[in-house]
Amino acid sequence: MATLVAENLTYSYTKKSKPVLSKVSVEIKPGTLTALVGPNGAGKSTLLRILQGQCIPDNGQITIDGEKLIRQRSQVSLMPQRSYMNWKFPITVEKLVSLGQIKYSKSKSSSPFQIKALLANPNAWINKCCELEATMQRVGIANIANRRLDSLSGGQQQRALLAKTLMSPAKIYLLDEPCAALDPPAKEDFLKIVRQLADAGLSLMVSSHDWGTSLNSYDQVIVLDKAVLASGSPDSIKDKLEDINISSIEDNSCCD
Amino acid sequence: MSFINSSWWFVPLIITIFSGILCPAMGTVLITHRRLLQVNLISHCVLPGLALALALGIHPSIGGVISGLLGSVIAESLTNKKSENYEAIMNTILAGMLGFGVLIIPLLGIRIDLEAVLFGDLLTANFGDLLRTIIAFLVFILLMTFGYEKVVYVGLDPEGASASGINVSLLNLALSFTTALVIVSSMSAVGVILVIALLSTPTLLGLNKAHSLRIAMMRSSFFGLCISLLGFILSIVFNLSPGPAISVICVASLLIPKLRK
Repeated sequence: MATLVAENLTYSYTKKSKPVLSKVSVEIKPGTLTALVGPNGAGKSTLLRILQGQCIPDNGQITIDGEKLIRQRSQVSLMPQRSYMNWKFPITVEKLVSLGQIKYSKSKSSSPFQIKALLANPNAWINKCCELEATMQRVGIANIANRRLDSLSGGQQQRALLAKTLMSPAKIYLLDEPCAALDPPAKEDFLKIVRQLADAGLSLMVSSHDWGTSLNSYDQVIVLDKAVLASGSPDSIKDKLEDINISSIEDNSCCD
Repeated sequence: MSFINSSWWFVPLIITIFSGILCPAMGTVLITHRRLLQVNLISHCVLPGLALALALGIHPSIGGVISGLLGSVIAESLTNKKSENYEAIMNTILAGMLGFGVLIIPLLGIRIDLEAVLFGDLLTANFGDLLRTIIAFLVFILLMTFGYEKVVYVGLDPEGASASGINVSLLNLALSFTTALVIVSSMSAVGVILVIALLSTPTLLGLNKAHSLRIAMMRSSFFGLCISLLGFILSIVFNLSPGPAISVICVASLLIPKLRK
């Protein structure tokens, strides 16, 4: 269990450009499912990258249980947008998921696959294999473990990518538009899995364009458009959303 | 019988075997990493290095590898794959480097058999050419032995690989270096231009339904070996130039319907 707190984050792509994020503060509490909603170009992906430590903010700070993010990066795992993946790569679902265990950085929570750890504890290998199997079962892809990635449907690919993300030894999981390009049943199915994971104690933040009824699945909703426009429970947000001129936000949209 | 009794064909045959295995294996990595345009770039960037190395009294292969790698680094620093100008910039650099190479050859007062460099001259290959091919083969084996998992991760999910601690830029540089070595080593077999066919075509067959990069590389190498040996035999029987013969067989294999899917 870990709590992530980000305060007053400001970020610009270059020194001269306008900030894509301005004084953004968010909190991810243990065992909660948070929705990060906003139009294209709102800065959702950028915020998730900052929270994962891939981008350094110009201002503001991020802590996990009071410690700076830089020392706790391994506690945060990011599931990238599907467009960043090379789905044609010749690899099976099982191998993709197992890649999530790999850590080459010298962090404390290094992979048990590392040789020293393996020699010290041969059971680690067996445990890790069991974990792999359990994770695939958890997201419902155990039956397609030996299939090639490009033979899967969009929903199955997203579940495989989620399983890979869950294999990392993190406590906070950031999912970047996992439901993009999914049809409504696949989307509903994916959200059910994510809800179950949160109920099981994982902390997740999911970015989305969806302003609709699926927000009810979340514990907390953050509305972002370069700054946090509103945050709170789905019910309280719905009232606030009526006050926010969504159409004007969408007019400002550009690529993230 | 005179063909069997003489041994002039032995070195070219061994080079054919090594190149037939190595080029498609390298090509599989590059195609899955969407870096095939890099091959085109490096192959065209080799010429100025060859010329300069000859003028300076250095082994031409060293100059070729350095200028191939340099062209690749310059192109990557000027643009990135996501840029809409990526292909235009890459093609501009490759044409410019080839032009530069052709320009400096008379200026440096050196003699280079351009036809042999660009299109290969396998039947006159010597032990130096064989040694170059073996070195490129060993470097590729080393890269795959110690970096296979990283190569897979970066090809599949570059951002995830970077987040897991892999130095993606360094790995890409290692790939460019190995590619330059493979291209220069194939100079005698098929030439630095026609090597593109041997890097691409067998891979199309090898990648089909392969469940891992390793299997895809092994299959591609098998098909590459068959194509190269067939080209070698046809060259001897019909007195053809081996490089172009191998390239034409590569094109002919596109008639296999599955390849065009």
